[in-house]
Amino acid sequence: MNREEAPGKSPEDMYVQQKVRVLLMLKKMGSNLTPSEEAFLRNYAGVVHSQMSQLPQHNIDQGAEDVVMAFSRQEAEDRRQ
Amino acid sequence: METHMYEADGTSKVTQWQDTMYGLDSGIQSGATTVRDDGDYSSSKHVTTTTTTVMSEQPVDTHFTRAQRVRAAMFPETVESGTIIVSTQIDPSQMTNVQRLAEPSQMLKMAIIHLINYQDDAELATRAVPELTKLLNDEDQVVVGKAAQIVNQLTRKEASRRAMMQSPQMVAAVVRAMQNTCDMETAKATASILHNLSHQREGLLSIFKSGGIPALVRMLSSPMESVLFYAITTLHNLLLHQEGAKMAVRLADGLQKMVPLLKKSNSKFLAITTDCLQLLSYGNQESKLIILSNGGPEGLVHIMRNYNYEKLLWTTSRVLKVLSVCPSNKPAIVEAGGMQALGNHLQGSSQRLMQNCLWTLRNLSDAATKQEGMESLLQVLVGLLSSDDINMLTCATGILSNLTCNNAHNKTQVTQGNGVEALIHAILRAGEKEDVVEPAVCALRHLTSRHQQAEMAQHAVRQHYGIPAIVKLLNQPYYWPVIKAVVGLIRNLALCPENQAPLRDAGAIPRLVNLLLKAHQDAQKHGSSTQQTYQDGVRMEEIVEGSTGALHILARDPINRAEIANLQTVPLFVQLLYSPVDNVKRVAAGVLCELALDKQSAELIDSEGASAPLMDLLHSNNEGIATYAAAVLFRISEDKNSDYKKRVSVELTHSLFKHDPQAWELAHNSVPMDGPYSEEMDPNFPSYEAYPGDMHMDRMEGVMMPDEFNMPYERTDNY
Repeated sequence: MNREEAPGKSPEDMYVQQKVRVLLMLKKMGSNLTPSEEAFLRNYAGVVHSQMSQLPQHNIDQGAEDVVMAFSRQEAEDRRQ
Repeated sequence: METHMYEADGTSKVTQWQDTMYGLDSGIQSGATTVRDDGDYSSSKHVTTTTTTVMSEQPVDTHFTRAQRVRAAMFPETVESGTIIVSTQIDPSQMTNVQRLAEPSQMLKMAIIHLINYQDDAELATRAVPELTKLLNDEDQVVVGKAAQIVNQLTRKEASRRAMMQSPQMVAAVVRAMQNTCDMETAKATASILHNLSHQREGLLSIFKSGGIPALVRMLSSPMESVLFYAITTLHNLLLHQEGAKMAVRLADGLQKMVPLLKKSNSKFLAITTDCLQLLSYGNQESKLIILSNGGPEGLVHIMRNYNYEKLLWTTSRVLKVLSVCPSNKPAIVEAGGMQALGNHLQGSSQRLMQNCLWTLRNLSDAATKQEGMESLLQVLVGLLSSDDINMLTCATGILSNLTCNNAHNKTQVTQGNGVEALIHAILRAGEKEDVVEPAVCALRHLTSRHQQAEMAQHAVRQHYGIPAIVKLLNQPYYWPVIKAVVGLIRNLALCPENQAPLRDAGAIPRLVNLLLKAHQDAQKHGSSTQQTYQDGVRMEEIVEGSTGALHILARDPINRAEIANLQTVPLFVQLLYSPVDNVKRVAAGVLCELALDKQSAELIDSEGASAPLMDLLHSNNEGIATYAAAVLFRISEDKNSDYKKRVSVELTHSLFKHDPQAWELAHNSVPMDGPYSEEMDPNFPSYEAYPGDMHMDRMEGVMMPDEFNMPYERTDNY
């Protein structure tokens, strides 16, 4: 690939880039891949390697954040002893 | 014996009694029987009963008549020493009439004497009041001091005390003297007078009406401990029993004076002071803020940490409980170490103290999620989960739920301390008590995600047979806060592959689908996204999101995936792609992404017209949504023609790489020459610069750049 070429590389290249990134994100989020998708990633090992460093580091599929329960809405008088 | 009690004056009456050899001195003149130790802050009554027992002896002198025997029984003090009274008792098991009457007649005699004295005291005091009042108002402080001492003596006895409290001028004079005096003894005497008067309602009213409250509040600054004690105790009695006293104490800045007294070291004094604070602050927000601004939380926590006197701990815990509902006091109490201090009293013998501490901890817990040093408290709370007391369970589960909220350290502590097992047992014992079940399930939900031992917790739920019990909570009747908590917990449990089959076997999938259908229908009824359906305080959109999210994770298992698809859920999931709520879109795209792994489901998804909304979702700011949408499109386009694939690619290009110069560079340098679609791609495919101009390009600027990625999944409204 020639660096001096205009940024509009071939649709095939773009497609591969997109699909690799999407599949890697899916894996990171804990989703399953089909056998052909796994094979696709193996075929594009070089692209996978370069894309991995660009992925967000955190696990973005951890589920809903915890929420506190507000108990102190009203006072309750206790029996004076 | 003859008496003429109702005819002579007081002095004569006393003399007459004494002449009859009773030897009783009521103390009305001499004061001999009046004893008070100012250093003793407790009061007690001593009652002496004299019983005369007449012993039967060998008859020595047989000339005693019945009248004489009766007199001897009623007035044994009149019998000359050495005289033996012969009893007429024949049968040892049967007392004679005289013997039976001996004690009751003694008691009657004492009652009559007391009545006579009371009358005397009252008459004397009534006559003395005007004179004493004049003396209390005298300019000479020595005179005032002496008068105060006399009045103090008089107010120690009930009859004379009544006479004093019935004179407003007298009470006002006492109040004035107390306020104006520089003499410590006078201050002590006058404070003592008011204290004595405060034991009766009439006395309280007379103090209140005479402006006694501001004067007593001023006495709270006295350097004399006894004056302090009299003042606080009198104020306490007023606060307890006198209407209007609370307002008067507040107006007199009583709180500002009382809070600093928390530094004193006398336990009983502190108990009364804290009880005053509770009476003043209950239901009064302004009072709570005054306590806060005067260092109340620190002072109260200090007491909880350093004292062992049960009554003091109980009264202090009551003040903390009142303050714990105040949003301003809550963080101050927590910062002062209140959680740890209260936690020290959960294992003692005082039930009332323990319960107050628990309610207070529960109120405070939502402000304590970031507090350190909770290990001991957490351990005790896990232990309390084995209680059968519903109040204790309610509090323990609630506190644990909040303390494990977004706190990885606490989550790990509770998980490693067998908290999972204890929570499951609490849920089983609680039955349908939502106040226990809801926080317990929330706590389990917290424990099963976002900390290092989350996986351990997910396993522990299964190992302690929690899965069937948890899934059963999805049954009707629906209590929506519990339902919401349970679907979130099931979602977390499903992250553990070993839990997938047990969840399926417990019937989680059809229950989740039913809930989803019901919630979606209820949400649709309103017809507008701005109107949200609430049931039991829960939005139906939250149930849609939660149940779909749980099904998403369950769908990672192939058997579950098939079961979910077989329940005709695909059309509904496709519909949810149109939801205005990002979280709903995300979980819907997520579950479709899993279902699309199966070719049959992928075709069904396509036939339901999912492509159109999915294409739109490629442009979402939410990376998860865009990723799932892209994955579904890739999967449903597997068997499609090249035109379709090109369109997908173009959409992806516009969404993923338009303003991503680094990705451009990378793509330029690293893509290999051969790929599966190179022959299928049309070389004359138009460049995206010529693409229709209604694409929203700028939204995706930098969206795929990790450095600029701002963690949308950490937002509270997203997962």
